[in-house]
Parts: sequence; structure tokens; C-alpha cells
Amino acid sequence: MTALVLGLVLVAYAPQQAGSALLDPPREARVQALGKQLRCPMCQGLSIADSNSSAARAQMDKVRELVASGRTDQEIRDYFTSRYGEWALLEPPASGMNLLVWVLPLALLAGGGLAIARTMRRPVPAPPAAPEADTRGATSDDPYLEAVRAELRR
Amino acid sequence: MSRRGLGIGLSLAAVTAVLLFVLAKGFGRDPHEVPFQLRGKPAPDFTLKRMDNGAPVKLSDLKGKPIVLNFWASWCGPCKMEHPVIAWGAKRFGQDYQFYGVVFEDTEENARGFAGIPDPTFPQLLDDHSRMAVDYGVTGVPETYFIDANGILRDKVAAPVDPETLMAKLAALKQPAGPVSEVVR
Repeated sequence: MTALVLGLVLVAYAPQQAGSALLDPPREARVQALGKQLRCPMCQGLSIADSNSSAARAQMDKVRELVASGRTDQEIRDYFTSRYGEWALLEPPASGMNLLVWVLPLALLAGGGLAIARTMRRPVPAPPAAPEADTRGATSDDPYLEAVRAELRR
Repeated sequence: MSRRGLGIGLSLAAVTAVLLFVLAKGFGRDPHEVPFQLRGKPAPDFTLKRMDNGAPVKLSDLKGKPIVLNFWASWCGPCKMEHPVIAWGAKRFGQDYQFYGVVFEDTEENARGFAGIPDPTFPQLLDDHSRMAVDYGVTGVPETYFIDANGILRDKVAAPVDPETLMAKLAALKQPAGPVSEVVR
């Protein structure tokens, strides 16, 4: 029974076309490194190297083909962004509008740090002068306490 | 308000405006929607083998009549529902348009089982390792691409196509195209 269920599942969902043959180790390492940078179109935040979906497999085959044909890493990234936009890159390049995403948090952090530093450096205001002590009733060494008592007695 | 207070207020307003702009840009689109960058560009050329008779089909030889390219796979459930719609469109509009199916990430044996009796109005093409599909920016199946008579990729539908959508897209193929730019190959 288990074998039957397993068989049905494998027939229904197993990949229907095997991926292309791996390249020699140095070039295959490039393929995998590039695959880690490219977003799988059918998954949630996964790279095509980490996904076993059909679309990711097809794209990995394409990366392998482009590496084998002697394309540079940048040319391969350009190939994918020209078809899928910058969406295809898991890490958007730090240029143009994307630069804001990289620079803005740092600018805010620097601004916040500066504001804190300025506040800390500012001299602490002197405490208000204590009102004259009321000799009636209890007395205290604490001028603030005496001031409060004087207010209450008014 | 002091000059210092005004400066801080303006700085905060500027930072907030930039943040709002970035957030509106980022959240203003569906994160699951993959951009289609090839719209309005020349369709990448291909030479694929027909599944029925093994004859090569080259895109650049097909110019002169608009083309509908439908990507499918036998393991794709929605493709089973969509296939009769495209086959119907091929029979109904085959005089004015060329219809081709492209097998995506599938074995020839499974594809033959899926497509059934060969249909001369809707020939199926075999795409080894889906190389041509990635050239077109396919993100999954079913997907249908619409190429005008001049070989310009005009539109795509990344979902099963219904008859109304098919007719609307076919009609749009007859409309003049906008400016054309090149594709990175």
C-alpha cells in the first residue's frame, strides 16, 4: 500500500525532465554561486540554486549553458534582469533608487547618534533656587522638600 | 519657531517623504508578480523540433503572421484545462494567426501522452532543457506569449487563458506597436 501511494505521488509530482549535466568543478562552483544570487520565480524568497521547482531547474540549466559558453558573471546577471527585471536578483544592486535602501538606514542611524550626542553634551540646567524656608513647622535639609512644603502651606 | 527648530522639522519632513516614496514604490506592487521585461522587444529567435514530424521550426521564418506561443507541461493541472481553449483558438483563428505549443520541463513521452492526436493547426514544439522558455522569461506553466507579425513580443498571460482573453489578445496583436528596444542575448 505504501509503495502504491509513494508510486502515485512520485509519478504525479516528480520532476519530469532531468537537469543538464554538471560542469567541471570550478565552473560548476560559479554556476551554483550565480544560482544563489538569482530569485526563483515560483518560490517565496528562495534562490534558483536552493529550489527544486521546474522553473528554477530550467533557469539553473540556462546559467550552466551561459557559463559553459564563456559569459562573465555580470553578463549572466544582465541576461536574467533583461527578462525578469531586478526582481530576479535576490540582492538588489546599490545604485539608482536602490541606493536609498542602503544609504537611508545608515543616514538615519548617523542622524540619531548625532542628536543623542548633542543632547548628552548640553549642560544640565541648574536646579531652581529654593524658596525661603518656612521656619514654622518641621524643617528639612532638602531645599526641594522645603519648597514643596512651603507651597502646601500657602 | 527658532531657525534650529525649523531646520530639524524640515530634515524630518524630507526623511519622511523619502521613506514614504520608497515604501510606496516597494509596497505598491504585487511581490508575487514577476516583471515581464520583454514586452515591446523583438521576440528571441529559436529553432525547435516539432513533436509530430520532427521538422525544425525557426521563429525568424514565421514572420508575416502573428504568433501565439503556449508553454505547457503534462504535469501541470491548469494546462489540461487550458489546452482545449488554445486548440479551439488555433482552429477558429488559424487563418490569421500561427499557434504553437512549447513543452516546458517535460519528457517527450509524457508530452506525447498529454497532447494526444497531433493537431496540424496547433503544432507542439520540444524545448530541450527549456532553454528557449528561459529566453522568453517563462516563470511557470501555463504561460502564453503573443508575438506580432513583425516579430515583436507584445504581451503575455501568466495564467490559463480563457476564450475571451484569447480573442482580446489576438485583436490587440493587429494594433500598431510602440517603440522597440533590443534584448540582451
